[in-house]
Amino acid sequence: MKRTTRFVTPFLIASFGMGSMPAMATPTAVVDGLVTTEQAMKAGQASADRERIAELLNRDDVRDQLITQGVDPAEVEQRVAALSDEEVRQMNERLDSLPAGSNAVVGALFAVFVILLVTDLLGLTDVYPFTR
Amino acid sequence: MRDRSIGSARWPGALLLLAAVFLLGGCATMPPLSEATRASVPQSVALDDVPFRGQRQYQCGPATLAMMLDHAGRRVAVDELIPQVFLPGREGSVQPEMLAAVRRHGLIPFVIPGSMDALLQETAAGHPVAVLQNLSLPWWPAWHYAVVVGYDLEREALVLHSGETPFREVEPGRFDATWARSDRWAFVALPPGELPASSVGRPEVQTVAAFEEVQGGKAALPAWRALAGRRPDLAMAQFGLGNALAGEGDRHGAAVAFRRAADAQPSLAAAWLNLGLVLRSLGETAEAAEAFERAAGIPGPLRDRAQSLLEAGLSPAAPVGGNGNRGRSP
Repeated sequence: MKRTTRFVTPFLIASFGMGSMPAMATPTAVVDGLVTTEQAMKAGQASADRERIAELLNRDDVRDQLITQGVDPAEVEQRVAALSDEEVRQMNERLDSLPAGSNAVVGALFAVFVILLVTDLLGLTDVYPFTR
Repeated sequence: MRDRSIGSARWPGALLLLAAVFLLGGCATMPPLSEATRASVPQSVALDDVPFRGQRQYQCGPATLAMMLDHAGRRVAVDELIPQVFLPGREGSVQPEMLAAVRRHGLIPFVIPGSMDALLQETAAGHPVAVLQNLSLPWWPAWHYAVVVGYDLEREALVLHSGETPFREVEPGRFDATWARSDRWAFVALPPGELPASSVGRPEVQTVAAFEEVQGGKAALPAWRALAGRRPDLAMAQFGLGNALAGEGDRHGAAVAFRRAADAQPSLAAAWLNLGLVLRSLGETAEAAEAFERAAGIPGPLRDRAQSLLEAGLSPAAPVGGNGNRGRSP
C-alpha cells in the first residue's frame, strides 16, 4: 500500500498542478514550474501574479478602446492577442497621441499650404511631390 | 530639377525662409554616416525583389505590411491586412499594432536603432525596412509608413516604396528630416532564425519573447538559437533558448543553455532555478541541488522558492530519485 502511494502520489500532485496552471502558461512544458522568459525579463518577479492580472485588465481596456475606435468586434480579439505586454501598455497609456500612419492628404489652410510648400522646397518636409 | 523649382518659388519662399531655417535649421543636411558604416556597406543597394503594393487613402500601414510580409514569403492581400491594423477612429495605423500584425503572420518584428547607419546596414543585408515618417511639420502632421528598398551613396538617394510610388527616390537629408519626427522609428520583419544586421542585445531578447508569447515555443526556437548563437555572452538569450528547448522536450539541451545563462550572469537566479528544475527532472539530484543552492543564495523574489526546492531535494521523500551520475547532460 505504502509503495503504491509512493508511486502514485507524484503523478497525482503533477496532475493537480497541471489543472491549476494559469491559462497563459505553455501547455507543452515538459518540466513543471520553470520561470518563463517573460517573467525573468521583468524586474519584480514577486508580484508576477498581480502583474499578470493587471495585464489582463489592460488587455480588456485596449479591447474596449479598439471597439470605440471602430474596429470590427470580430477582429478585436486577435488584434489584442498579438500585442506584447509592453505594447498593450503603450496602447493604454496613449492611444490618442500615438502617431497613426495614414499619409492623409494634407487638406489645409492657404497659409499652411504656403509654409509646407516652402519647407518642401527647403528639403525639410515631403508633402507635395510636385515640388521636385 | 529641384534647383529650378526653388528658383521659381524664390519670392514667396524668401519671406519664410529665414524663419524656417531659424526654427528647423540643420534638419535637412545630409545625416552623418559613420566611417565604419561607409566602409562596410556597398556604395549602392537595390532590393528589387521587394514587391510594391500601392495604397489607397489612409492605408499606408496595411500596404507597408503587405510589402514586408510578401518579401519574407508571406503573401497577404492589403485588403486582408486592413481589418488587422487599421484604426477607423484614427484614420491610420499605430506602431504597436503594426508590430503585432507582423507577429500574427509568423514573422518577428525587430525595431532597429534609429540611425541612418542601422537603416543602411539592414538594407545592405537584404532586409527591407519599414519606416514611420512625418512628411509634414510637427504641428500639422502627416504620418506615413513606407518601405526603404535601397540607396545610392554616390547619388545621395534613398529608394522607397511609398504611397502610390514604387522605387521613389528621396534625398537622404529630406528623408531624415521626415523620419526624425517619429524619433526615427523603423523595423524589419524577419522569419524566426534570421536576425537584424545591427547589433542585438536585450531589446531583441524581449522581441523574441513577445513573438514566443503569440506563436509558441516551437515557432520561436530558431530565433532563440540564432540569438544565443550571435550573443553567447547574453544571459537572457541563453535563458530564452533554454525555455524554448525545455518546452520542446529537449531537456539536455535546455540544461546546457540554462548553465550557459548562469555562467554568463551568475546573479541571474532564474537561470539557476530553471537549471535545477531541469536537472532534477533528468534525475541528476546532486547537481540540481547545487543549482538550487546557487539560486537560494541570490537575494530576490525567487529565493524562497529555491530554498524550498533545495529542502525538498535534501529530504529522503524526494519525489524523483537518482544517483546524480545517470543521464549526465553533455
